[in-house]
Amino acid sequence: MKILVTAKKVVDVELTMHVQDGAIVQDGMQYVINAWDESAVEAAVQLKESHGAETTLVSVGGGDNSDMIRRCYAMGIEQGIHIEDPALAKADSSIYARVLQKVYEKGDYDLILTGKQAQDTDSGQTGIILAEYLGLPCVSNVVGIDVVDDQHIQVSRSGDSGTEIVSLELPAVVNVDVSINEPRLPQMRGIMMAKKKKIDVMDLAGLGTSADAVNSASPKSEVLEFMPTETRKGGQKFEGDAAEITAKVVELLANEAKAL
Amino acid sequence: MAKVLVVAEIKKGNIKSSTTELLSKAKSLGAEAATVAIGADVGALAPELANAGSDTQYILEDAGMAFFSAGPYASAVVDAAKQFEADLIWFGFSESGKAMAPRVAAQLDAACATEITDIDLSGKHVEVIRPAITNKVMQRVKVNTPKLVAVVRAGAFEADTGITGSENVVKLAAPEADLKAVIEELVSEASGEIDLADADVVVSVGRGAKDQAGIDLVRELANDLNAGFGSSRAMVDGGFMAHNKQVGQTGKIVAPTLYIAIGISGAIQHLAGMNGSKVILAVNKDPEAPIFNVADYGIVGDLFEVVPLLREEIAKQKRKR
Repeated sequence: MKILVTAKKVVDVELTMHVQDGAIVQDGMQYVINAWDESAVEAAVQLKESHGAETTLVSVGGGDNSDMIRRCYAMGIEQGIHIEDPALAKADSSIYARVLQKVYEKGDYDLILTGKQAQDTDSGQTGIILAEYLGLPCVSNVVGIDVVDDQHIQVSRSGDSGTEIVSLELPAVVNVDVSINEPRLPQMRGIMMAKKKKIDVMDLAGLGTSADAVNSASPKSEVLEFMPTETRKGGQKFEGDAAEITAKVVELLANEAKAL
Repeated sequence: MAKVLVVAEIKKGNIKSSTTELLSKAKSLGAEAATVAIGADVGALAPELANAGSDTQYILEDAGMAFFSAGPYASAVVDAAKQFEADLIWFGFSESGKAMAPRVAAQLDAACATEITDIDLSGKHVEVIRPAITNKVMQRVKVNTPKLVAVVRAGAFEADTGITGSENVVKLAAPEADLKAVIEELVSEASGEIDLADADVVVSVGRGAKDQAGIDLVRELANDLNAGFGSSRAMVDGGFMAHNKQVGQTGKIVAPTLYIAIGISGAIQHLAGMNGSKVILAVNKDPEAPIFNVADYGIVGDLFEVVPLLREEIAKQKRKR
């Protein structure tokens, strides 16, 4: 089984963010692998270990992604591709999906694994749009993957009414949730080996495509500005004798907030 | 006049509040509103959908649609959108909505925006507001395509009971089943338990509860309030609570009238899951816990002492009525 797994380099969401003049302040930003993609990478490595799957990582945009890609190598990924091109500066989910489509078409993959959303945009679209462009079956919010045979897998999806068990015919796209696994910490040996491993960096021409072919000049939407999140108003915090403050708060909940 | 197609959210034969909220918003924007309802048994809901503000009810009623399957469901939405000539296609914030929206957008070559909190149709381009970076910031997004598919944040729009529509049913032909993605089984969430996403009141338990005894204590409070019983990620990871109980960015997003966080510190991923709640009450031993930054009412104290007191006080309030 040949697996193509995506990884996006994103801002570390644990950091304090500042919004200034409609933009996010860039100084002191740290970048990490998108947590959902990290789970996809772990899932790919697990399939390598259990079923001998071959794994290829692809990352699009983000500038220098070598740290992130080497981390994935240290986890067990065998090959890494990084597509970087100035034309992708304004890429939206549909453009990323077109680029990923081109990467997929150059290989011979049975399974595409992606994280279900990226923690910077929280959009959750790219994997699904990619499946549409490729005409492949797709399941999102996957919390478990089982290999049935060379042509079929079965996945568990966390749906609105419970867990859906879905049989997929390969090739297919699976978008995973972080609850699917706990990504392994790279070990020293993996880290050392990863340092020497090659990363295939290329621009759109190198991929055998072009800005036009991926519609990079026409994002379907674009961010005009960032704003701080509206902070909730109010906020009365009570300390002191438990019985007294609890009685006070419940009274406020009932009469002030009318929530009881 | 803009034309909005609202994808009705139906659970156990009931139309969920998101449908009404989205229809109200559509009407408040002066748009023409239609709905599309899909399932094995949804035809009977047409009058209720009309009542909620829909002027055209696209109905796909077919035994093959009993279980959600993203491909066929999305095809039905696209069919309705094309027939209605919808400019805007809105989904409520659900797993099925999130699975369908990008497909519908790709098939209509439209932009897709997830978790929008507001929409502006007044300018040359449609603009939406949505959160990003785990809800730490908001973005104002310009839509460049003539059509927009959006998933609306839970509770973002208000339902207006004064809004009404008219009954005008259009039946949709059943799309082909997705032979490559076959749903084999649906393992239902434990019956009898209140669905977090639907509950008016949600009580969630966090690491402060320590173990099963603490969980049981907090569950009593949830039962008293007839509330949904949720959890922070810590207690799910610890094996104390099932994953479907997790409130947070990687679990369920809830927007109840009252959210009570017991022993939860307030990590940003958790906050992203309950920030839309109308009223938030938090109980935590640590006065610096980030949860107090979003709670309308905060009690600094030991939950093992406070929860029994809460139950007592709440019982007193109930007796007053």
